[in-house]
Amino acid sequence: MDTLLHVIVSLISLMVALAYGLTTGGVVRKIMARIQGRIGPPVYQPFIDLGKVLFLRTGTHHGVMFILGPVFRLAGAAGFYLLIPVIVGVPFLEGFHFSGDLLLVMYFMFFGSLGMALGAADGGHPHSPIGVGRGLAQMTAYELPFGLAVVAIVASSGSFSVFEIVEHQRAAMLTKGVLGWNLFQLPFASIAAFLALLGMNMYPPFNIVGAPTEIPVGPATEYNTAFQSLQMSGRAIFAIAKVVLFMNLFLGGAHSILEAFIKTFFIYMWSIFVGAVFPRFRPEQSIRFFLGWPTAAGVLAVALILWR
Amino acid sequence: MRDELPVLHGVPPIPEGSQPHARCQDECFLGEKPEPLKYREAIQRIKNWFRANSLHVLAYGTGCGSIELRPLGTARFDMERFGISTRPTPRHANVLIISGYLSIKTLKRVIRSYEQMPSPKWVVGLGSCTINGGMYWDSYATMKQLDLYLPVDMYISGCMPRPEALIEGFAALMDKIKKGEANGYLDYLERLDWYRENQKKIIHDWDLPDYSW
Amino acid sequence: MKTHIETLKRHQFEVLWTHQQRANLIQIGIKAEQTLPVLTYLKTHTPFVQLTHYSAVDWIEDNEFQLTYTLTNPQTYEILMVCARIDREAATADSLHKLWPQAVTYEHEMGEMFGLKFPGSPRVGEPFNLEGWRDMPPMRRDFDTVKFVRDSIPERPGRQAINTRDYIGAEAGEKRLLHD
Repeated sequence: MDTLLHVIVSLISLMVALAYGLTTGGVVRKIMARIQGRIGPPVYQPFIDLGKVLFLRTGTHHGVMFILGPVFRLAGAAGFYLLIPVIVGVPFLEGFHFSGDLLLVMYFMFFGSLGMALGAADGGHPHSPIGVGRGLAQMTAYELPFGLAVVAIVASSGSFSVFEIVEHQRAAMLTKGVLGWNLFQLPFASIAAFLALLGMNMYPPFNIVGAPTEIPVGPATEYNTAFQSLQMSGRAIFAIAKVVLFMNLFLGGAHSILEAFIKTFFIYMWSIFVGAVFPRFRPEQSIRFFLGWPTAAGVLAVALILWR
Repeated sequence: MRDELPVLHGVPPIPEGSQPHARCQDECFLGEKPEPLKYREAIQRIKNWFRANSLHVLAYGTGCGSIELRPLGTARFDMERFGISTRPTPRHANVLIISGYLSIKTLKRVIRSYEQMPSPKWVVGLGSCTINGGMYWDSYATMKQLDLYLPVDMYISGCMPRPEALIEGFAALMDKIKKGEANGYLDYLERLDWYRENQKKIIHDWDLPDYSW
Repeated sequence: MKTHIETLKRHQFEVLWTHQQRANLIQIGIKAEQTLPVLTYLKTHTPFVQLTHYSAVDWIEDNEFQLTYTLTNPQTYEILMVCARIDREAATADSLHKLWPQAVTYEHEMGEMFGLKFPGSPRVGEPFNLEGWRDMPPMRRDFDTVKFVRDSIPERPGRQAINTRDYIGAEAGEKRLLHD
């Protein structure tokens, strides 16, 4: 009975994440428009887009892997989201966590992109492999600082479980208050990970995969209708899962829905406000950036932990 | 190889006398249109509302009119507030704007792009060149009447129409879609042979496939 | 600039006529057979090293095509237009693709629009602007554009043609415009 209830609550939570992700996308478009002095689309515009894409009729595909690409992406995003605790203390919203789930979560983070890469290559459009190549190169680059930051966190809290990392921060908060967050406890790891988050979110200056005016939508060039809707929903859930993971790792998790909304919103907006004022990097600049200061910060974070 | 791949539920030209496909009986009507049911009509209306409020324009300019499209994205006119945005690939687009004169060489590319767009899709003819040839009426290289080659849902007259006129045209197109009257794409499928005949009349080196999926 | 034309004459190149159009623009006429030697000389021995434009004019009355090579001196911005007339029936000229690689595109287009032949020039004969063109080259003056358009491109009926000059003149209350 408990398992059934858990599954039902998780599905509802997934739907809420989808709705939240789409709304946040709309808010982002609105913010970008206001920054550029425009009125901008309504906040619910992504819902209309998703609905319209679902109501399109003709669908063309290019083989099995082409279909599986967006499915992998959605599955990766959903698996990622379901593994991590969303709200700590609420029985069924703590995710399907187990000891060592952080490794699986990190795998899921890159699983979706990998699936898309394989699927997009089947599309046959020349922009797809270019975008895929850029994306995988950038992924490899920002994985290094992020991995170092995760190593520092794991070493400091002594666990590979996201849930236990949150608990560790909660314990520290009893004595130190907000300063118990990993954000303040491990400042160099936070710098490395939050800079890596910029690359993960693919907003400027790191939007080299779907670079407008270069390889316009990149790997998704051939994806239409239902495939596009899968991709859109996968992207929305993935964006939310990422910020929830960062909330758990650095901001001490959340104990109520309101707290979760506020924290995730601010983490999400971090990359938006950076993105709104920067032009795009070239691929080699982006990769060099991630292998530079973020990696140095990550190495320093690990060194400090070892020294301590 | 490409032709052998299965098509999910696309509508290739169907030979005369055959029964319409079961899953699109009320939409891809051939011959007698069945009486629509009440709830289906309601669903259709909802679908049309979604379609009308999320117009994705193919960012492709055929002639001088495309210069009037650019200001639409800027702060002064801002078409994004109506849910209209541009898409760089025909696979993501619904609206094809023929912006001004259309040379016969470009017509070939336009036909290809149009057929690759997922339906429902709409064609907007911009400027007098698409209506009756405009100032290029005696040019040896441009077509003079767009609706012979593509099903046009909305004409915006002028030489060139201002961005305001374009926004008004989009609003009219959205009204038409909401009422379910913008059915040019069905007309294209129904009378594909007629359109092909017209297209082949002016494109002499026809090397396109039977239908560009 | 004039000194360069004098040296041309001294090197046994025949300069048929010269015409100074502006202070920095001189046109000269040469024989078609001497096109390549003259242009080679101008490129290698004078500062006129840049081919800025390259076009053809149909002189149907003289039964000739005139090819105009516009050379620029990039230091002083002086322009030298070298004109050579070729026979209209043969319509064959020397290709410049070894002197200036960009000439290929001009030759490609002239081959299509005027039906000129440039032996040795790469890609001449491939479709460029006009795909599937079956008629006479459209820039030749004996090509009847209006008749071609009426015959081959369908037109929406009901179009009224107004003589713009008369219409605007009548509107302005004038009987004749100045340059009429």
